[in-house]
Amino acid sequence: MLRLRILPALLALAAVLVPTSVAQAQDELVVSLSSDPTSLFMPRTSDRTASNAAWSLFDSLVWIDDDGNLVPALATDWTISEDGTEYVFELREGVTFHNGETFDAESVVATWETGSDESNDYASAYSAADSVEAIDAYTVRITTPEPNAIFLTTIANNWAMVPPDYIREVGLDAFAQDPVGTGPFRFVSRTPGDRIVMEANPDYWADGLPRVDRLVYRVIPDGSTRLAAIRTGDVDVANRLTPDQVTALEGAEDVEVVQYLNDRVYYVGFKNMGAGEGTPIEDRRVRLALNYGLDRFGINQAIFSGQANAAPGFVVEGNLGYDADTMQPFPYDPDRARALLAEAGYPDGFEISMGCPADGYVNINEVCQAIASSLGQIGVDVEVDFQTTNAYWSEPNYAVTGPMYVDSWSSEFGEAIPRLDGALTPGNYYNTWEDERIANLIQEIQREVDRDARAELYGEMHELMREDPPFIYLYQPVIFEAVDADLEGYQPRAAEEYFLRSVGFAD
Amino acid sequence: MLSFFARRVGESLALILGVLVLVFFLVRLTGDPVGLMLPKEAPPEQRAAFAAEMGLDRPLPVQFAAYMTGVARGDFGESLRQRRPTLEIVAERLPATFELALAALAFALLVAVPLGLAGGMRPGTWVDVLARGVGLAGQTVPNFWLGMLFIVWFAVGLGWFPAFGRDDLSSIVLPAVALGFAGMGQLIRLTRSAVLEVRRSDFVRTAQAKGIAGTRVSLKHVLPNVAIPIVSVLGIQFTYLLGGSVYIEVVFAWPGLGTLLETAIRDTDFPLVQAITIFLSFFAISIHLLTDLAYGLIDPRLRAA
Repeated sequence: MLRLRILPALLALAAVLVPTSVAQAQDELVVSLSSDPTSLFMPRTSDRTASNAAWSLFDSLVWIDDDGNLVPALATDWTISEDGTEYVFELREGVTFHNGETFDAESVVATWETGSDESNDYASAYSAADSVEAIDAYTVRITTPEPNAIFLTTIANNWAMVPPDYIREVGLDAFAQDPVGTGPFRFVSRTPGDRIVMEANPDYWADGLPRVDRLVYRVIPDGSTRLAAIRTGDVDVANRLTPDQVTALEGAEDVEVVQYLNDRVYYVGFKNMGAGEGTPIEDRRVRLALNYGLDRFGINQAIFSGQANAAPGFVVEGNLGYDADTMQPFPYDPDRARALLAEAGYPDGFEISMGCPADGYVNINEVCQAIASSLGQIGVDVEVDFQTTNAYWSEPNYAVTGPMYVDSWSSEFGEAIPRLDGALTPGNYYNTWEDERIANLIQEIQREVDRDARAELYGEMHELMREDPPFIYLYQPVIFEAVDADLEGYQPRAAEEYFLRSVGFAD
Repeated sequence: MLSFFARRVGESLALILGVLVLVFFLVRLTGDPVGLMLPKEAPPEQRAAFAAEMGLDRPLPVQFAAYMTGVARGDFGESLRQRRPTLEIVAERLPATFELALAALAFALLVAVPLGLAGGMRPGTWVDVLARGVGLAGQTVPNFWLGMLFIVWFAVGLGWFPAFGRDDLSSIVLPAVALGFAGMGQLIRLTRSAVLEVRRSDFVRTAQAKGIAGTRVSLKHVLPNVAIPIVSVLGIQFTYLLGGSVYIEVVFAWPGLGTLLETAIRDTDFPLVQAITIFLSFFAISIHLLTDLAYGLIDPRLRAA
């Protein structure tokens, strides 16, 4: 008879092959990425994962520090003209790109020129400037068409300085494969779908940085696999975890959970155009009723185990102009909601359709159903219309949905202006609500270069959007990540951005 | 004979053409990449310029004609996201997927053939119960779930294998076993039933009557006869493994075509989705064609069919 020696033999073989997780040298930082970066050329980094990885290679003229302040980077100083449309930057001298090329005014001009190419995903971040010219080797003048409150933050977030000679020599496609910047790390190699390897830039202009010798990004698309990887110690940072996954880490040694409020507001949008015309939601009192009549606190509890913040409006915690004393979410007040509906002429409520991007966000299907159920309590019969995400977002003005729809909008500037402008400036792709007072105030904010004055305008905006709400404000999610307990200096920001130049390990 | 070959090759070409058409139009039903690729804040003018740059503003038939002209020249277009030729991207990922599928096939064979042989030779014994049990498990347990279980047990719990990635030899063990598990189940059942059939033949009874040892009968007399059906399903098994690798690659962060396809679909990277699916179909169709042709060579009766 055939004796089954093969199975045990296989197992034995497997046991021999087992070198597995060797403890990492503490001079190597391994960070997980939830998707393979589309590109490391900043203007073409079409998602946060890609731009986070790319920023390790590059610097901009200015930098936003962990406290949200604009501080010098490759520009040591700058002045803004009286009318707010002309910026003169003094550049840092003695900085070289990783290939030895000198960083100077020509690099800034070239960065703007390559970035503004219309085939780039982020071309609009470069076309915010009208002209960029070198005054001398280390002085640059940049003009904007109008005063632009967030111009410096736009530069800080997008304008990664690139070497013109190198790009001219190898072309943009080759540059994207083997990128060269002035940043804290130098590109070493990339295995598509697997990893990106970088090493410390020994000539980095900021003293004492970076703090590790090697930086490795590992692509791990599945959340539970990222969780496994942090538990085995194969990665030092595991991002984009769910609350459930984090619970599984309780008691795990050497792992620390990081959680922070995401600068992303979920909301129900209204349309006072297209499908929304002639519907009850055009009445201000109805929109107020829907805000009072939605139990957003109950939804947060039931669906997010309380791990989300009820959103007070579009200006939220961490944004410029946010004031916890005056900016609180609508209270849950179904009686008031019913009274408002009656006043508006709908004592028995009404029927309305609400679009929902199926599986487009974490738990969004449940959220949509919970909204329908909660508003049902005040007599508003919401029919949830689930759509595929692609159909949902590819049409302008949410054309595939009815008078109401669910969506979210993030911001990366520490200010609410990108989502205000995107959602509420008439003519924009995702605009469905036209309100002249709001539109005018948006313009005013965009042109107000003074930070304090802008903060005040955000307060006014909040009031306006509270009295006559263009949305039902829902929640701000909490982001969960897990890191090696010895990691120091890892400070992800509210827009899920992180910078690794000052991250290191405790001795 | 020649007309048989010609007909089969012609059919395969038509099938590939059908796949090309189907994939081209199906992916375009999923949405418009311009709305999804650009930042939400992008102004309408930039959207228009971007669509023009990418050739996405042309009418669908024009896009299709341009695409087919390219394909005829061996040009499968550029990835919308990576801005590189899709063939180049597919070629980068191909070795990893082939490696994984081959390892999974090897695992399936190494477990299935001995187990199916032993079970079939001694039906009703504990070995047979084991063979049937493992076979059933193989065909019913979903492979992505098995993959997650393996990670929790063997990577996190026992620390025997890496949890993810493609590094040294040990990193292929878990994904290959998880991927090959279903095929293993099928092969066990196939081997076992083929053995049961062969076992009843006269030459086996004669061998046993002559007093030849059980193991020798299994290996010398039964196995060669069982090999024919096994070998004939291997090609098809391999194409299944290539398709099944999508889930497993994502679970194990294996940098092959599967993870690439998942990303490409999510990113509405039409040309890339097309290139991957067309390549996988081309491969599957070729294997079927070769199998058919081989049958035709072996068995003249099939040529008329």
